[in-house]
Amino acid sequence: MLSRHAEDLYWTGRYIERAEDTARLLDVTYHGMLEWSDKDVPQAQRDLLEVLFLDETFDGDLSDTAAVTEFLVLDTDNPGSITAAVERARLNARGLRDRISSELWEAINTFYLDLRARDLRADIERQPYQVYRWVRNACQTVTGVAAETMPHDDGYRFLVMGRLLERAEMTCRLLDVRYHRLVDSGGAATAFNRWAALLKSVSAYEAYLKEYRAAVDPIKMLSFLLLSPNFPRSVRYCLRGTEEQLAELLEPDRLTDAQRLLGMVGAKVEYCDIDSLVNADLGGFLDELQRDISQVGVAIDRHFFHHATDLDLHFYISR
Amino acid sequence: MHAPVFSEAYADDAPRPHYRELVERLEKLGTEELERRSRLVESTFRTLGITFAVTGREEGLERTWPMDLVPRIIPAAEWATIEAGLKQRVRALNLFLEDLYVGPQAALAEGVAPRWLVESADGYLRQAQGIEAPEGARCVVAGIDLIRDSEGVYRVLEDNLRVPSGISYVLENRVAMTRALPTAFANHDVRPVNHYGAMLLTALRSIAPPASSDPTVVVLTPGIANSAYFEHAFLARQMGVELVEGRDLVVEDHVLYMRTTRGLHRVDVVYSRVGDEFLDPVVFRADSLLGVPGLLTAYRAKNLTIANAVGNGAADDKAVYAYVPDMIRFFLAEEPILPNVTTYLPWNPQDMTLILDRLDELVVKPVAEAGGYGIVIGADADRQTLDRLRRTLLDNPRGYIAQETIQLSTHLSFVDGKLAERHIDLRPFVLTGSQMEVVPGGLTRVALPEGSLIVNSSQGGGSKDTWVLEV
Repeated sequence: MLSRHAEDLYWTGRYIERAEDTARLLDVTYHGMLEWSDKDVPQAQRDLLEVLFLDETFDGDLSDTAAVTEFLVLDTDNPGSITAAVERARLNARGLRDRISSELWEAINTFYLDLRARDLRADIERQPYQVYRWVRNACQTVTGVAAETMPHDDGYRFLVMGRLLERAEMTCRLLDVRYHRLVDSGGAATAFNRWAALLKSVSAYEAYLKEYRAAVDPIKMLSFLLLSPNFPRSVRYCLRGTEEQLAELLEPDRLTDAQRLLGMVGAKVEYCDIDSLVNADLGGFLDELQRDISQVGVAIDRHFFHHATDLDLHFYISR
Repeated sequence: MHAPVFSEAYADDAPRPHYRELVERLEKLGTEELERRSRLVESTFRTLGITFAVTGREEGLERTWPMDLVPRIIPAAEWATIEAGLKQRVRALNLFLEDLYVGPQAALAEGVAPRWLVESADGYLRQAQGIEAPEGARCVVAGIDLIRDSEGVYRVLEDNLRVPSGISYVLENRVAMTRALPTAFANHDVRPVNHYGAMLLTALRSIAPPASSDPTVVVLTPGIANSAYFEHAFLARQMGVELVEGRDLVVEDHVLYMRTTRGLHRVDVVYSRVGDEFLDPVVFRADSLLGVPGLLTAYRAKNLTIANAVGNGAADDKAVYAYVPDMIRFFLAEEPILPNVTTYLPWNPQDMTLILDRLDELVVKPVAEAGGYGIVIGADADRQTLDRLRRTLLDNPRGYIAQETIQLSTHLSFVDGKLAERHIDLRPFVLTGSQMEVVPGGLTRVALPEGSLIVNSSQGGGSKDTWVLEV
C-alpha cells in the first residue's frame, strides 16, 4: 500500500487511542479529586498533564481545574487535546476514504460531528462522567468498527500498530508519574483509593481484582500493568501485538530495525525483575522504556513511511 | 418578457406520459412525507460525508450535497438521440485533438477553426506537441453540458474535456433515490449507472502503454483540499485502485513509480484530476507541489498514459466551442446531431457590433472560467455592470464569448417543502477507451433559487437523479 496511507492510518490509530486515554485519565482524576483534599488538586493536575506529556505545554493555573480540563478537552491549539486528536483523526480518515471501510469513515465522521455539535464546556460542568464515557465509547466504537468492517490487511495492521504503540507509551508514563506518588501516600484507605484510580485509568481495575483478588499491592499492580500477557493495556501485551503486526507486514527472512528494537524492548520488559526495580531505579527503567518505545516508532516511520531510496534526488520537490 | 419555458414533466398542465406514474406517486405521498424523506436523504449524505466545497463563500467550506427528491426521466428514444449526438461530438473532439497534437493539423490548415484562436487557448500546451495517445483516446472522460431550450431541443452548452467532475454524485444520487422513493423506482425500468467504476477502469486499462500486460492504474488527486476530493476518492474506491498525490509518485529513468510500504511500484496509467499545468514542475509551473518532476518526459517516452490527455484544454475553450459543429462536419462528414447554443465571438468585428448592440439580451461568459464564475446575464444586469462589461469586451475580445439567452427547461422539484418548477441542465459523461460508451443519464443540476438560471453546484445548485428508461 501507499506509504502515505500507511502513515495516515498509523496516526489515526494513535489519535483515537490518545483521545480515549485522555478521556479516561480525566474521568479518573476528576472523580479521584472528589475524595481528595483541595491542597492535592494542583499536584493531581500536574500529574495528569505529565502523564499526557503536556506539563510543559500548559501555562495556566494548575489549581484551576476547569482550565486544565478545557486545555485537555477543547483546546484545538493543544495538539494533544481530545478535540484536536479527533479532528486530526477525521482529517486523516477523510484522506483515506478510498482505503478504509465506509463504516469506519462514518464512525469517525459522526464522532467528529457530534463533538462539534455538543456544547462540551457546559456538558463537562454539568455531567463530566457522561462526557468522558461518551468519548470513550465513541473511540471504542471506532476501534470496534475498524476491526469488524476492514479486511485485516496491511492498512489495518498500521492502524493497530499506531494504537498499540500509543497505548504502550501511555501506560509507561502513567506508571512513571503515578507510582512514586502512590508509594509515598498516607493512610490505607487513601492508598487503596489511589491505587484503584490508577488501575481504573487504564480500565484495569476489574481485571486486576479478578487476577489477584482484592489485594491492591504495588508490586502486583506494577507487574500486572507491565507484564500481563493478556490484558490489552499492559505494556507487554502492546509490544507483543506490535511485533505480531510487524511480522505480518515484513518478509520473514530479514529482520528490520523496527523488529530488532522491538525485540530488545520486549525482552527488557518480559525479563525485568520488578522486586528489585521497585527498590532501585524504577523511574529510570520506565524512562528508558518510553525512549525505547518511541525509537520503535521512529524505526517504523523510516522503514515504511519515509524510506530513503536512491530515487530521492527529487525528494525536496516531491514532498 | 421571457420566452416560453419548456417544462420537462408537464405539457398543458398535465403530466407528460412518461411522468404520469411518478407525479401520481408524489401526490399520493404528500408534501409532509416528501419532506420527511428529503431530510432522510440529507442526513444520509451528511453522515456519509458526501460533500463538496464552495469557494469564495464564508459559510462552511464543505456543504452537504443537495439532492432534489424528484427524479428526471428521459424516455429511451429521446436518450438514443442524445447518446448518438454525444458520441458524435466526442469522436470529433478526439480527432481534432489528435490532429492538433500529433497529426498534420489539417483542421487548422483548412480553416475549420482559426489557428491563432486555438493556439491562444489557455489549455493549449505546446509542451504536449508530439505526445501520442494510445487509441487516439484523448478525451477519456468527457462531460458535455446539455440544456433544453424553449422548444424542447437539447443543445450543447459547453464541453468539459480536462477534469470534468460530477459522476460520483450521479452514483450516490441513485443510491439515495432507491432508498428515498423505492416504489417509484421499482415501477420504472431504469438503466443502471452503478457499473461506472468498472466502465472507467476498462477504458483506462485499454489505453495503457502497449508494453504493460497487467497495467497498474492510479487516480491522481491534488489532495484533500480540492473541491472534488470526495469524487477522486470515490472513483479510486469504485475502481479498486490507489488514490495518489504527487508526493506519492517518483519518476526514475522515465518510468513512473509510487512509494509503497513494500518499496516502489510501477504505474502505467494515471487518471489525473490535477490540472495540466500542475502536473510536472519541470515542464510547467515550477512552483507546483501537486505534480511529479519528470512525469511529462515519462509520458512522452510512452512509459505511461495520462488520462485525460495533456493539452485537451485546446478543445474545450469556450471560444473554440463555437467551432465544434464545423469539426464534426470536417472530420466525420456528418451534420451535428446536437446543436450548439448560438454563440458570438467578440474578436470578430461583426459579432462584436452585434454583441454590443444586444448586450442586455445576451449572456456573456469568460472563456477560461468554469463553475459558472464570471457569467453575466444581460437581462438581469444593471447599467453599471453592462458598461463595465462593454469595456472588458473591448479590452479583451479573445477572453469572452456571448450567447443567446436560453430559457433552460424547468423540472418539477421539491424545494422548501413544496413541489415547484426549477431550471435544470444535464451533464452526461462519455468514456473513450478502445471503445466509446455513454453513462445512461448523467448529472442533472437544478438551480434552486426560483427563476435562477445558474445550476452550478459551486453557485448553490442542487441535483437530481436522472432516469433513462429501458424502453
